[in-house]
Amino acid sequence: MTFLQVAVRAIAALALGAAAAAFVGSDAVLSLLAQATIYALFASGVGLLLRQNGSASFGHALFFGGAGYGVAALLKLQAMPAELAILATLAAMTLLAFLVGLVIVRVPGIAFGMVTLAMGQMAFLSTSRARGFLGGADGLSVEWPATVFGMAQSDLFRPATLFMLSWATLVVVLAALALLLASRFGSVTEAVRDNEERARFIGIATLVPRAAIYALSALVSGTGGVLAALNTGFVSPESLHWSLSGMTLMMVIVGGFKTLWGPALGAVVYFLFKDVLGDYATHWMSIFGVVLIAVIVFAPTGLAGLLQRLVRRRAPLAASAAAALEVRDARA
Amino acid sequence: MSLINLFNGLVYGSLLIVMCSGLALIYGLRRVVNFAHGALYMLGAYLGYSVALHSNFWVALVAVPAIMALLGALLDRYGFRLLQNREPLTVVLVTFGLLLVIEDFVQTVWGKANLSLAAPAMLDFSIDLLGTSLPVYRIGVVVAGLAVAAGLTLWLRLSSVGLAVRAASTDPTTTAMQGVNTDTLSALVVGVGTALAGLAGVVAAPFLSLSPSMSSDVLIDSFVVVVVGGLGSLGGAFVAAMALGLVQAFGAVYLPDTSVLLPFLLMLAILVWKPAGLAGSRT
Amino acid sequence: MNAMNSSQPHPSCVLQADEVAIHYGGVKALDGVSLTLGAGQIRGLIGPNGAGKSTVIDAITGRRRLTRGRVLLQGEDVSALGAVARRRRGLSRSFQRTSVFGQMKVRQQVELASHKMGVADSGADADAVLRELDLLRLAGATAEDLGYGEQRRLDLALALVGRPSVLLLDEPMAGLSVQESHDLARHLKQLISRWSVSVLLVEHDMDVVFGISDEVTVFELGRVIASGTPAEVRANPRVREAYLGSAA
Repeated sequence: MTFLQVAVRAIAALALGAAAAAFVGSDAVLSLLAQATIYALFASGVGLLLRQNGSASFGHALFFGGAGYGVAALLKLQAMPAELAILATLAAMTLLAFLVGLVIVRVPGIAFGMVTLAMGQMAFLSTSRARGFLGGADGLSVEWPATVFGMAQSDLFRPATLFMLSWATLVVVLAALALLLASRFGSVTEAVRDNEERARFIGIATLVPRAAIYALSALVSGTGGVLAALNTGFVSPESLHWSLSGMTLMMVIVGGFKTLWGPALGAVVYFLFKDVLGDYATHWMSIFGVVLIAVIVFAPTGLAGLLQRLVRRRAPLAASAAAALEVRDARA
Repeated sequence: MSLINLFNGLVYGSLLIVMCSGLALIYGLRRVVNFAHGALYMLGAYLGYSVALHSNFWVALVAVPAIMALLGALLDRYGFRLLQNREPLTVVLVTFGLLLVIEDFVQTVWGKANLSLAAPAMLDFSIDLLGTSLPVYRIGVVVAGLAVAAGLTLWLRLSSVGLAVRAASTDPTTTAMQGVNTDTLSALVVGVGTALAGLAGVVAAPFLSLSPSMSSDVLIDSFVVVVVGGLGSLGGAFVAAMALGLVQAFGAVYLPDTSVLLPFLLMLAILVWKPAGLAGSRT
Repeated sequence: MNAMNSSQPHPSCVLQADEVAIHYGGVKALDGVSLTLGAGQIRGLIGPNGAGKSTVIDAITGRRRLTRGRVLLQGEDVSALGAVARRRRGLSRSFQRTSVFGQMKVRQQVELASHKMGVADSGADADAVLRELDLLRLAGATAEDLGYGEQRRLDLALALVGRPSVLLLDEPMAGLSVQESHDLARHLKQLISRWSVSVLLVEHDMDVVFGISDEVTVFELGRVIASGTPAEVRANPRVREAYLGSAA
C-alpha cells in the first residue's frame, strides 16, 4: 500500500473513533471499548510475529505485563517524569527483546513457541514471588503524576479520553506497521519467512531481520501494556500469565493473522463475546477452547479472511479491479 | 545437606522423565507438540485422587494410565489423524484449545482448592541412607522414572512394534508402504504417551499437592526439558530431565530467590550453543 | 589435439575446487574432487544418481560444510565463508528441488534478489531476467500459484538476477518436458554468452549437456573419473562403461 492509501485509512479510522468517543454515552461501554482496543494492540504484536516470522509466541504477555511493570517501577522510584518513563521502558524492552530474539529465533519450529511459553511463565513466577518492591502476587499500583502528556488526571482518566487515546495509538501503530511492511524490510522478512534457505542464497542474512521482527512485536504488545497501566492504574502478575498470552494468540487466530487488522478484530470479537456470555463466564475457558478449535479446523484464515472472501464475492468488479491494480503496482 | 538435594533433584528429574517421554513419543510420531500434556498430567493426578479415595493408590496407579491411554487413542484418532496434513502450528493450537477445556473440566469437577493425596501405607516411611533420611515413596518415584526410561528404550530397540515406531517416526510414508499400519501405530504411541502423562500425575500426587496450577508448572518444565534435549529425542529428554531436576533442587536451596529462573537460564544457555537442542530437532 | 581446446582461451579460473571432500556418518559423498571453471566457460557435470554432482554444488556454494579441501572464487579462498557471503561475491545457484518464495509475487521476489546483489536499478534487472525466461506476463502472480515449469523458471530467475559471475545450475530441466527442456537450454545458452557468466551445469539430459558445454566432468561415487571436452568424454572407455553405455 502507498503512503496515501495508508494515511486515508488511518484518518478515517481516527474519525470513526472520535465519533464513538463523542456519541457513545455510556461510560461502561467506552471502558469496554478501551479495553478491547488495548488488547487489540497486544494481539497485533502477537499477530505481527506470526505473520512476518511465521512464529507463534505463547508468551507475549511477558512484554504486555512487562511494560506495565517497567513503567510502574520507574514511577515508584520517581526516577523520571511519566512520559520519559514510558519511552524508556518501551525502548529498553525492545532492545532486550532484540537481544533475546537473536538467540531464540534460531530455535526451529514449534520449539520456539515452547521457549516463549517458558520465558513468559518464568517472568510470571518471579514477579508473583517477588514480595517487596514489585508487590508480589498482589501487584502494584501505578503512581501516575498529576499531569501526564500535559493532561490533568481528571481529564485523562475519563473513559472517553482513555478510549480515544488507546484507539489513536492502535490506528497510528497499525498505520506505521503497514508502511514498514510495504517497504524493503517487509519484503526481506517475508522472503525469510517463506523460504529461509533460499533467502540466504539470494544474499539475505536472515538472523537480524527475524530478531528485529520479534523486537518490533514486543514493542507493539508493550505499548498495549503501557496503555493498560494507564487504563487501570494497576499492574499485577496476571498480566504476565501464560493464559493471557494464550488468549491473545487465540484472538489472533480467530481474527486472522494474514492481515494486519485481523488480530485487532479478533480482540474486539473476544470482548463482545465475553460481555454477551457474561453469565457463562465460569466456563470461559472451555468455550474459547472450542471456538479456537472450530476456527482452526474450519476457517483457518480467521474472521478477517472470511470477511475478505465475502467482499470478493459480493463485489467481484471491485475485487478484480483491485487485483489488476496489484499487478500494475508490481510492474511499476 | 547435599545428599538430600541430590536426591530431591533425582526425584523431580525422574518425574520429568515419565512426563517428557510421553511428550517426546507423541512428537516423534505425529510431529505434534502436545500442549495439553500438562493438563493430561493434572487430569491423571485428580483422577488418581478420586480412584484412590474409593479404593487405593495401587488401583489408581493401574487404572488411571489405562483410562488416559484410551483418551490418548481417541485424541489421536479424532484429532491428530484428521489434522495430519495441516501445518504443525494448527494442530498445536488445537491441543492448546484442548488444554483450556481440560483445565476447566478439572476445576469444575474437583474445585479450585488444593487437595492432597497420602502416599500408600506400604511406602509411607523413611529409611536412613548415608546419614540422611530419605522417604521411601520418593525412592519409588526414582525407581519408576528409571523403569520407564529403561522400559521404553528396550521396547523401542528390541521389540518389533518398537522398531515400527522408530521407523514411522523417521519416515512415516515409507513405513506405511512397507505394510505397517501407521494409523494403529499412532493411536498406540499417542495412547502410551498420554498414559505416561497420567502415570506421572498419579505418581506425583502424593508428594506434590494437587492444585489448579500444577498443569502449567509441569508443562513449562517439560517444555524446557524437551527443547533442551532436542524435540523427538528420548535420550536427550532423559539427560535434560535429570539436569533440570538437579538444577532446580540445588537452586531451591542455594539461590532461593532466583531459583525459578534457573530452568530458563539453562535453556537459553543451551540454545545459544545448540539452537536445536542437545540431540537436535527432528523436523 | 582437439580443435576445441585451442580455441578456448582460459586466462584465469573464476572458480576452483581443490581436493574437496565431504564425509559424514561413514558416507563419502565427495572424496577428493578437484575441478576448475574458466571465465565464460560452461562446464557440464554428469554422472549417475548419488555420484556427488549436487553435493559438489552444495560444497561450492556453502550449503554443506567441507570435511577437507577448499573452494576458490576469483582466486579468493571462500571455504570458510557462508552462503550469504559467497552469493554477495557473485556466486549464484539454482536448486534441483524448486526453491522459491511461495507467498510472494514473482516480480517482487526477483527484484528483491537483484537488490540484494547490489544492483542499482533492480527493477529493470528483474524485468530483463523475467522477459528472458518468459515470466514477465506472470510478474504479478503469487509464486505458489504457478505451474511446475513456471516455478522452475522462477527458481532460475532468482539465480540469474543480479549479474552473478559464476552460476551453478542443479538440474534446471528436472521435470520439464522435452520441448520445454530444449527451449530452456537455448535461452540459457543465449543468456550465458550475452552476459559472460561462467556456468557449472548439472544435468541428466545428455543432449543438453553435450550440446551446450565447453567441457564436461564425469562423477562416480564421489570422485571425478573423467574430464575434458564433450567429444573426449564421450570417447572415454571408463565413462562409457560407467554411465553412457556403449551405444553413446
